[in-house]
Amino acid sequence: MNICVCIKQVPDTTQIRIDPETHTLVRAGVPSIVNPYDNYALEAAVRLKEQHGGSVIVLTMGPAQAEQALRDCLAVGADEGYLLTSRRFSGSDTLSTSYILSAAIRRIEELRMETFDLILCGKQAVDGDTAQVGPEIAEHLALPHVTYALGMVEKGGSLRVRREIDGGVAIVETRLPALVTVSKLPVEPRYPDIRSWKKARNAEIHILSEEDLAELDLSLCGLKGSPTRVVSTYVPVREKKGLRLTGDTADETAEKLMELLVRSGRL
Amino acid sequence: MKRFNEYKNVWVFIEAEHGEAKNVGYELLNAARPIADGKGCDLVAVIIGHAIDSVCREALSFGADSVLAVEGDEFETYSTDAFSRVLINLIEKHRPDTVIFGATNNGRDLAPKVACHLKTGLTADCTGIGLQEDGENIAWTRPTFGGNLMATIICPDSRPQMGTVRPGVFRKGTPDSSRTGPIVMEDVHIPPEEIRTRIIYQADALALALDLEDAEIIVAGGRGMGSADNFKILKAFADEMGAYLGCSRAVVDAGWLPHTYQVGQSGKTVAPKVYFAVGISGAIQHLAGITGAETIIAINKDPNAPIFDIADYCIVGDLNEVIPALTRAYRKMKG
Amino acid sequence: MYNPLTEEIAAKIRAVSDHTFYGYEVNPDYSRDEMPIYGTHMPEMAVQPRSTEEVAAVMKICYENNIPVTPRGAGTGLVGGSVPLYGGVTMDLSKMNRILEYDLENFDVRIEPGVLLSDLVADCMTRGMLYPVDPGEKYACLGGNVSTNAGGMRAVKYGTTREYVKAMTVVLPTGEVTRFGAAVSKTSSGYSLKDLIIGSEGTLGIITELTLKIIPAPKEVISLIIPFTDLGTALATVPKFKTAGLDPQAVEFMEREIVLASEEYIGKEVFPANWNGIEIEAFLLVTFDGSTKEDVNRLTDEAAEIALDSGALDVLIADTSTRIRNAWSARSSFLEAIMDQYELIDECDVVVPVDKIADYMEFVNRTGDDLGFEVRSFGHAGDGNIHIYQCSNSLSKEEFLAKGEIFFDTIYREASRLGGLISGEHGIGHGKTAYLAESVGEINVELMKGIKKVFDPKLILNPGKVVRFDEESL
Repeated sequence: MNICVCIKQVPDTTQIRIDPETHTLVRAGVPSIVNPYDNYALEAAVRLKEQHGGSVIVLTMGPAQAEQALRDCLAVGADEGYLLTSRRFSGSDTLSTSYILSAAIRRIEELRMETFDLILCGKQAVDGDTAQVGPEIAEHLALPHVTYALGMVEKGGSLRVRREIDGGVAIVETRLPALVTVSKLPVEPRYPDIRSWKKARNAEIHILSEEDLAELDLSLCGLKGSPTRVVSTYVPVREKKGLRLTGDTADETAEKLMELLVRSGRL
Repeated sequence: MKRFNEYKNVWVFIEAEHGEAKNVGYELLNAARPIADGKGCDLVAVIIGHAIDSVCREALSFGADSVLAVEGDEFETYSTDAFSRVLINLIEKHRPDTVIFGATNNGRDLAPKVACHLKTGLTADCTGIGLQEDGENIAWTRPTFGGNLMATIICPDSRPQMGTVRPGVFRKGTPDSSRTGPIVMEDVHIPPEEIRTRIIYQADALALALDLEDAEIIVAGGRGMGSADNFKILKAFADEMGAYLGCSRAVVDAGWLPHTYQVGQSGKTVAPKVYFAVGISGAIQHLAGITGAETIIAINKDPNAPIFDIADYCIVGDLNEVIPALTRAYRKMKG
Repeated sequence: MYNPLTEEIAAKIRAVSDHTFYGYEVNPDYSRDEMPIYGTHMPEMAVQPRSTEEVAAVMKICYENNIPVTPRGAGTGLVGGSVPLYGGVTMDLSKMNRILEYDLENFDVRIEPGVLLSDLVADCMTRGMLYPVDPGEKYACLGGNVSTNAGGMRAVKYGTTREYVKAMTVVLPTGEVTRFGAAVSKTSSGYSLKDLIIGSEGTLGIITELTLKIIPAPKEVISLIIPFTDLGTALATVPKFKTAGLDPQAVEFMEREIVLASEEYIGKEVFPANWNGIEIEAFLLVTFDGSTKEDVNRLTDEAAEIALDSGALDVLIADTSTRIRNAWSARSSFLEAIMDQYELIDECDVVVPVDKIADYMEFVNRTGDDLGFEVRSFGHAGDGNIHIYQCSNSLSKEEFLAKGEIFFDTIYREASRLGGLISGEHGIGHGKTAYLAESVGEINVELMKGIKKVFDPKLILNPGKVVRFDEESL
């Protein structure tokens, strides 16, 4: 099976802190990592490759430093890494990002002279949390997609995906080629062993820019290709009011609490 | 002079399965009402499914001005292909100004496919929506960076403007069965061979015993519960809310509950939306496990319990009175 | 010899502190630490002071009225050090938890003693700094860390807490306030009273402020997970890293059973159980730091070569923050995993010369086998500090304690014979006082008692801990 895994380099959001005085995000010293869900997607891809043969290609769009993220993937079983990088791509929202990635996937297929049977993405990136790029790539490529996968097996030319649905799971079968976005797997992504880790350090990373993507419509890339605009951001202040609730009866107090919880969207 | 004259009305996608709507659709009808009013247009409930008559009527009673519905066997369960093609068809035909989805797994599966096809902007998993002063654009507000940052996003140059909104953020209105409005049935069908995925098996949630770590609501008891027997009251409250039961170390030490229920430094680290700490004094080790909780409600008979220092809402009182009262209040609220 | 804490004395204390709990108001957590097996006891009153002055005022009243006082932080101790054996007042310093001031030119930070280790480390990180002492328990208070001279994983490169305490404010048992040490890096000015307080487990004075040394955080960190077919081969590899001048930040060893138990506990499979069909019996977890990626890559290459030459099955690399976190989270959960698995637990943290660990571990396991309970151990292979747990689900508590006495006696004696000590970092508390004399000798215990009497003539501060006096018993 030939699989393309789309990954993103993200700041380790678990290490992001809020400056208590300025109420801004402190990003200094926060390491960059491969988006954790993308690591699960990669692990799923490598397991499929180990079962059925084929190859695993990793693709990312980002600045030159994102090369390290690709090397991290090469160390745990990916065969080749492609970095899509250009100033013209910066500021892309999900629609524009998915457009550029889908063009790159087509281009990689041409370069490798074989098509992908499966495209995997993490269910969402932990910095943006949109979960939109995967399904949008599928739409650009006219592929079926399955989101929120917890596991998958190939069966007679189609793929069976264990999918997280609201309040349960479903087994969904999709034709191949398809795109699947991966949530958490029951297994943890593997650690690189010393040999593949050393090899990944010196591996060649393929660089793609708009010049390599002949059919790319630049008006659909970057800021000007992005229909959404961020107009403001702010750090939410968590008010610990420690509000003491009282009432004439326990019922009255209880109703006040439920009212407050519902009004603030918590229940 | 409006820029998008040919686009009008605010649509809310009502997710329904087995003839029953998910709450979030009705919540969004309530949330979108001021937007439709601000724009001076209709609020339309869009329903795709099988056996949806009662959902259509219900949508009107929850505040929709009209209903646009598509019914068919192929829509009995959700599939990306069938639902997206119907929606794209409807949107291209009727040209809504705004389309809002619930940010459920299916909503977040469907919306990007549709938005991408229409080459328009989509904002994910919003916790706030409002009309900007220009009366045109919706300001979609959403958390990013793992909830550390809030961003407000607009879609100024394309229509429809689309977003998914997190369930539970808004409240349903009070249904008014006397409300009426047109229910327009559209005849759209998707041939089965064009639906490229199929559901082989579907399992209910509760059989799956989610981990405490993933629970959205946790009701936890501490030493102040007094006895293993008192956990029955707590369990009843948790069950009523679909919440998970947790406890502090003291409870495990006393043998009232097994260790799998323990929250805290030597137990589970949890990050629920709502955490009820009942009879929990609030030792550092316990607090270490709940720093990720969005809202902490402390119930304790000791007014000096340290848990009150970090709780958002505090009730001083006897849990034997407070917990049954909370159970009643929840039941009453949910109607 | 102590007076009961009457309502009248309680009123006096309330007059100087707004943060008191008396009688039934006292939180039962104050009766214990993480090891209730050494016995529990409630204080008559608990105070949660917010300032040095408040501590001093309460202490003075207790001194005048002969009331014992037990200082306490987060209560994460493992030897009963914060259990108020004779009642009296528990002085809970966890509310004095402010980080007061950084001096980044002199690389120090001034804090109150109740600051949690995890909070200090995180706060330092936002300034690009590191407080390098890294005990397993991250939710302990710094005051407690200093009082036990906590060591932890990074001691092999960065040393223990002692090396990071520049100065402190201390309330003496009389209620007097004094300052030890200074925010300078050298001192030759009489006896080092500061160093006496470090590791004194709250028996000489109550620390109310600390000036701690911090260092610029290393820019690059990498961890190696090294699987072996047996513990002996794993441990024999450790000195070779040091001989080669690789200077690891941490070297931990772990055996198969505890890794499996910990993975089950955290619900994550972190380490492989098998390698090409061979069962992995032991792991080393090694961390290097450096200022550039090239530095740590070079160290990793060299260490991997040494390990493979010494018989390691493979070397796995954790070079991203997520992977490092996962690897170490499994390591950090060992204690909780053991507590989860067994009903009866006792433990010790002996320290033996690094080259003797392998022999010593074999001796310990054999002794446990002979006595009929299970032994779980893990520890800091880099500095010879081993955490040994006596565990059982089948023995009665009496049998367990009786056998435990023989067990610890035997393994402490063996540790001494090999040139080791009975506690590397947990302290003596009241759980281990009986073994102290045997380990350090009568002469040294008498010196310790003398020091105690100079600081605390009425023996009211944390009585019954570290060294015992006959007159303490009621």
